[in-house]
Amino acid sequence: MDSISYYLQTVLNGILAGCIYALFAMGLTLIYGVLNFVNFAHGELIMWGAYFLFLFMGEPFGLPLYVAVFPALALTGCLGLAMDYSVFRPIRRANRLTLLIAAMGLSVFLRNAAQFFWGAEVRTYGFEVKAGTQFLGLYLTTQQFAIIGVTILCVIAVYLLFFKSRLGKSMRALSDNLDLARISGIDTKRAILAAWVISAVLAAIGGILLALDTNLHPEMGIANLIKAFAATLIGGVGNLWGALLGGLLIGLAENIGVLFISPGYKDGIAFVIMVLILLARPYVIIGERSD
Amino acid sequence: MKKLAVLVAVVAMFAFLAVPTARAAEPIKIGAAFALSGSIAVYGEGFKKCIDLAVEEINARGGIKGRKIEIVYEDNKSNPKDCVTAVRKLITVDKVPVIFGPAGSSNFMATAPVAQENKVVLMSAQGAAVGLTKAGDYIFRVFPSDTLQGPHLAKLAIGKGYKKVPVMYINNDWGLGLKNAFVDAYKKMGGTVTDLIAYDEKKTDYRTELLRASKGAPPAIVNLTYINEGAVQFKQAFEMGIKTQWLCGSAARAPKMVELAGKAAEGVMGTYPSVPQNTKAYKTFKEAYKKKYGDDKIPIFGDYNYDMVYVAARAIERGGTTADGIRKALPAAAKGFKGVTGDKSFDNERSPKFAEYGIWIVKDGKIEDYKK
Repeated sequence: MDSISYYLQTVLNGILAGCIYALFAMGLTLIYGVLNFVNFAHGELIMWGAYFLFLFMGEPFGLPLYVAVFPALALTGCLGLAMDYSVFRPIRRANRLTLLIAAMGLSVFLRNAAQFFWGAEVRTYGFEVKAGTQFLGLYLTTQQFAIIGVTILCVIAVYLLFFKSRLGKSMRALSDNLDLARISGIDTKRAILAAWVISAVLAAIGGILLALDTNLHPEMGIANLIKAFAATLIGGVGNLWGALLGGLLIGLAENIGVLFISPGYKDGIAFVIMVLILLARPYVIIGERSD
Repeated sequence: MKKLAVLVAVVAMFAFLAVPTARAAEPIKIGAAFALSGSIAVYGEGFKKCIDLAVEEINARGGIKGRKIEIVYEDNKSNPKDCVTAVRKLITVDKVPVIFGPAGSSNFMATAPVAQENKVVLMSAQGAAVGLTKAGDYIFRVFPSDTLQGPHLAKLAIGKGYKKVPVMYINNDWGLGLKNAFVDAYKKMGGTVTDLIAYDEKKTDYRTELLRASKGAPPAIVNLTYINEGAVQFKQAFEMGIKTQWLCGSAARAPKMVELAGKAAEGVMGTYPSVPQNTKAYKTFKEAYKKKYGDDKIPIFGDYNYDMVYVAARAIERGGTTADGIRKALPAAAKGFKGVTGDKSFDNERSPKFAEYGIWIVKDGKIEDYKK
């Protein structure tokens, strides 16, 4: 492999990792924006999304991938709603710490539940491994095309929803000021439910892409959530575009860093960037945000 | 508080006095904190069968200096917490000088400090982690440490003509230990390590690590990996068109790895501790097992457990029935002793000095023994 494509492949690897982080981070930041707390159970939505697809592709359903995705995404959306209904709605007005701890508890519960149903062992959707197609000296597999393509589609969809629809407008209003939104006659309940569904579906899409690319494991969500969280912080919590850029930045920095320092510090790279950015100026990447 | 201290002292004195007066004809008790229920109970049952076989043989020959051996089994429920409870019970209630410890390195390592603090000998017949016996001088194992695997892996690499390799390894006790053992041996054999790439376990994206390892298209890459990590890595390497001979340790040698990686695992090779089954000792053991249990399917690690009883018995014979005596006698008792799993001499780390290693290869989706 000559050196230009060596570096280009690294950048591509970074973008792939970054897309996954970005999908996770966007869902995470959305809930933060609307409800003002960090949903630590977001990782479990990621994992359950992937496992729901596993469920519909296996016995007794045996659906092909492109059909099975839809019930899987729908179920994850429902799971997001159920999380809100059973845990977060009753303590909507509680302080952030309570919400945070509730989310952590829920995360452990959902992870154990997945282990109960599917066991702790690693699983796979069972697709044949294929060598990537060579493209300008770079190797890309179908799954990787899918990761990049689907992420772009999601970003477009989220953009349209948020900036071109009434629902998006009400969610943005909520995110700015819950009480003000409410007295202005915005249907806050509907907007909150919508936020949960979108967040869960984004998580499921990311989880499925990740599992297609690698494997399924009950800890796949929590393992990547930390990166998503870092991406959210880098981009400014509650900021959708910040989350997208933050995710890509972490993915790229990690992968490029691996070439120069020991990959044992791969996680360290992401966090050093995060800390530096937070120290330099919070929300430095995109605009200002007042809480 | 003072009264309590006096009471404790008196009780301790009586306990102390009670030990040397043990009657000569009484059986010698050895503890076994085994998995008899829980997730790895299937292993525990097999170990127990082989331990019982060895005990029966020793007792049939008159025991140790006229005293029979008796094993006190305690269920460790396959988890570290209950392993500690089981070991504590064996130490405080049964007052055994030697305990055969739990299977699973994490289970065993949870109990090791307890045994060490209480000055009771703890032995393992299936722990491979490099630091398994670190807790102290009362902790022994008859199963080879992964440190021994390094030179064998180096020999495999050199033997196949790979004089320059990059080394990838899992960044934990096991990976680091095996990496160091491999690199030392490989350099002594004239090999050159072109790059050292440590990586974290449980990651989903190893692409750039793999890319870095494959720089300059090396004909072989050493990768000290686990099942899941290995599967992801071989898959991602395959997708990126990296063509190389993977050389691994024993931890990746699992059908699950091949199942997850599919055809990307094809041709992956590695070393693993193997017991030659064509020796006279092994055949005798197998026959005895068949006679007692009716089938000759030796349970996994059963042979090591069988040897562990003999090593312990030899130490009791030389050092007496106190834990301290046994601990001191163990190295001499095991030195040159040929068990069914080979020479059981201990090294300075109280692990086997010698071990035989086999070579595995993935062929047509199955793990096979590699034949040159």
